[in-house]
Amino acid sequence: MKLGIFLPELIRSLFKKPNTVDYPFEKLEVPPDFRGSPFLHPDLCIACRACERDCPAEAIEIEELSKEEKKFQMVIHNDRCIHCAQCVDSCPTTPLKAMEMDHLFEIADFDRHNLKMQYVYNRAVPKKPAGSAVAPMSPNRSAKPSDGSESATAPAAPKPDPASKPGQS
Amino acid sequence: MKFQIPIGPQHPALKEPISLRMTVEGEVIKDADLRLGYNHRGVEKLAESKSWIQNIYLTERICGICSHSHATCFVQGAEKLLEIEAPRRGVYLRYLVSELERVHSHLLWLGVAGHEAGFDSFFMYTWRDREVVMDILEMISGNRVHYAINTLGGVRRDLDEAQKAKILDGLKILKARSEYYLKIGAGEPTFVGRLAGVGMLSRQQAMDLCTVGPVARASGIARDVRKDDPHAFYDEVEFDVATADTCDVLGRAVVRIKELFESYKIIEFVIRNLPDGPIAVKAPRRAKPGEVVSRYEAPRGENIHYIKSNGSDKPERLKVRAPTLANYAATIEMLRHGFIADIPLIFAAIDPCICCAERTAELVDARTGEERIVRFADLRRLAASRQAHSNKRNVAWPL
Repeated sequence: MKLGIFLPELIRSLFKKPNTVDYPFEKLEVPPDFRGSPFLHPDLCIACRACERDCPAEAIEIEELSKEEKKFQMVIHNDRCIHCAQCVDSCPTTPLKAMEMDHLFEIADFDRHNLKMQYVYNRAVPKKPAGSAVAPMSPNRSAKPSDGSESATAPAAPKPDPASKPGQS
Repeated sequence: MKFQIPIGPQHPALKEPISLRMTVEGEVIKDADLRLGYNHRGVEKLAESKSWIQNIYLTERICGICSHSHATCFVQGAEKLLEIEAPRRGVYLRYLVSELERVHSHLLWLGVAGHEAGFDSFFMYTWRDREVVMDILEMISGNRVHYAINTLGGVRRDLDEAQKAKILDGLKILKARSEYYLKIGAGEPTFVGRLAGVGMLSRQQAMDLCTVGPVARASGIARDVRKDDPHAFYDEVEFDVATADTCDVLGRAVVRIKELFESYKIIEFVIRNLPDGPIAVKAPRRAKPGEVVSRYEAPRGENIHYIKSNGSDKPERLKVRAPTLANYAATIEMLRHGFIADIPLIFAAIDPCICCAERTAELVDARTGEERIVRFADLRRLAASRQAHSNKRNVAWPL
C-alpha cells in the first residue's frame, strides 16, 4: 500500500476541461422520450375522461360546458403535475394521441396559477375502435403537429386553440 | 462523567430529519438512541384512496434514490392480486432498470462515503461517473429520477437497438471506472485508514439484529432476495452475492463496489438475451380480494410491501417496510463504543433513507411524557398559535 495512488488522477484532471455544462448559457439536449409537461390537442380529444380518471396527481379536470354543443373544458394543473405521462398512456385516441408530453424542462414560475392550462373545445367524434392494445409509448415518439390530418374530425367551428391554450384562468 | 449529545432532527451533518441521542464519555459513545417520526408523510393512508395504477406513481415517490425499487415491489404484488403476468420482454426491461438503478445508487453512496470520510475528490469523481448511468436511465425512461417505467402487466417503454448499443458503451466506461474505485477503496491508505475498523458489527450481531442489504453482506452474511427467493429472471442469470468479512465501514464500501460488477454482469445479460415480444399486457381495473407480500432487493437491502385487496379498484392496505428501517437497530450497535467523529460515517454507511422508513409519527408531550393523537389541522393550529405568541416573532437577525 503506497501513499497517494489517487494523485495521478487528480493531476491529470487539473488539465482537463470541466465536466459540467455552463448551464444557463449552454443547455443539454433532452432525450427524445423526455417527459415534460402534458398538453392537449383539442381537435383530437373525445372527452372520455380516461386521463382525468388515471392521473395520480389529480391534475386534469374535464368539465362539460354545454351538452347540446358538446363543448368541453379541460384544465391541466401543471403545478400539480408529477410528469408521469400516465395521461398519454391512458388516452385512447388512435393513431394520434390527444394528450402528449412536451420537451420543456424550465417550467418554474413564481405564481402557481400561471402554470394552469385551459382548453375549451368541441368534442371530437370518436373513430371506430382500432383493437384493444395497451398502447404503451412507442420508443421513437416524435412530437407531431397538432392540426394534422385529424382536424376534419372536429365538429364545425372549433375554438381557435392558439388563443385558448396558453391562457391563465 | 457522561453527557448526552442530541444530533438532529435538524443538523448540518444530516440530510434528512432524524434525532440521534448520544450518551458520551469523553469522545467515546457509550450509548445511542434513535428517534424517528420527523418526516411522516402519510403515504400508506394516501395509497388507500388511489387506484392500482395511480399507486404505482405514489409508491415511486416514497424514495427518490430507490424510486424504481418501491414501484417494482408494489407492481410485483399488485400483478399477483390482479392475476396478470408481465410478458418476458417486459420483465427483462423492468429488471434492467432495477440493475441500472442499483448502479446509480451505489455510485451515489460511494460519493457520500468519500465525502463523509473527508475525501471530496473521490466524491466528485464518483458523482461525475454516475452521470453516465443517469443519462442511460433518462434515455430509457424519460426522466432521471422518477423513471415511471412500470405499469401493471409490464413496462411502458421499449428498447431499440441504438439504445442497447448506448447502454453497452456506457457500461464500458462504468466498468473501467469501478475497477479504479475498487483499487482506491482497497488501496489508498488514507481512505482505508479512515474506514477500517469503524462501525464494527459482528456476524452474530448482524444476524441477531436482522440487518439487510450491504450492511448484512459486509458482515459475512450472504443474504440477497435475488438469490434466496429468485423472482423474475434472477434464477436464469449468473451472478454472485458480494460479501466481505471485515464487518466495518470499509467492508460496506467494498461490498457495494463489488455489487456494481455483479450488476454490470446482469445488465449485459439482459441486453444480450432480451427476448422479443410485447412489453405489456392489459391489466384489469379491479383486483380479486386477497393479500400478498412482495419482496424485492433494493440497493439498500430487502424491501417488503404488504398489499391487501378487498375486490375494489383500490388497495385496502399497503404496508411498506423500507430497508433502512431494518438496519436502524444495528446502527445503534455500530455507534456504541465508536467516536463522535465517526457518527456521520457510520450513519451514512447504512445508506439511510429516512423519509422511506417513516411510517408512523408519535406525538409525546415534552413536559409530561404523555402520548397524544392529534389531527393534522389541530397540529397546524398549534404551530400557528405558538408562532403568534412567540416573542421572537419578526425579529431581525443580529448579523
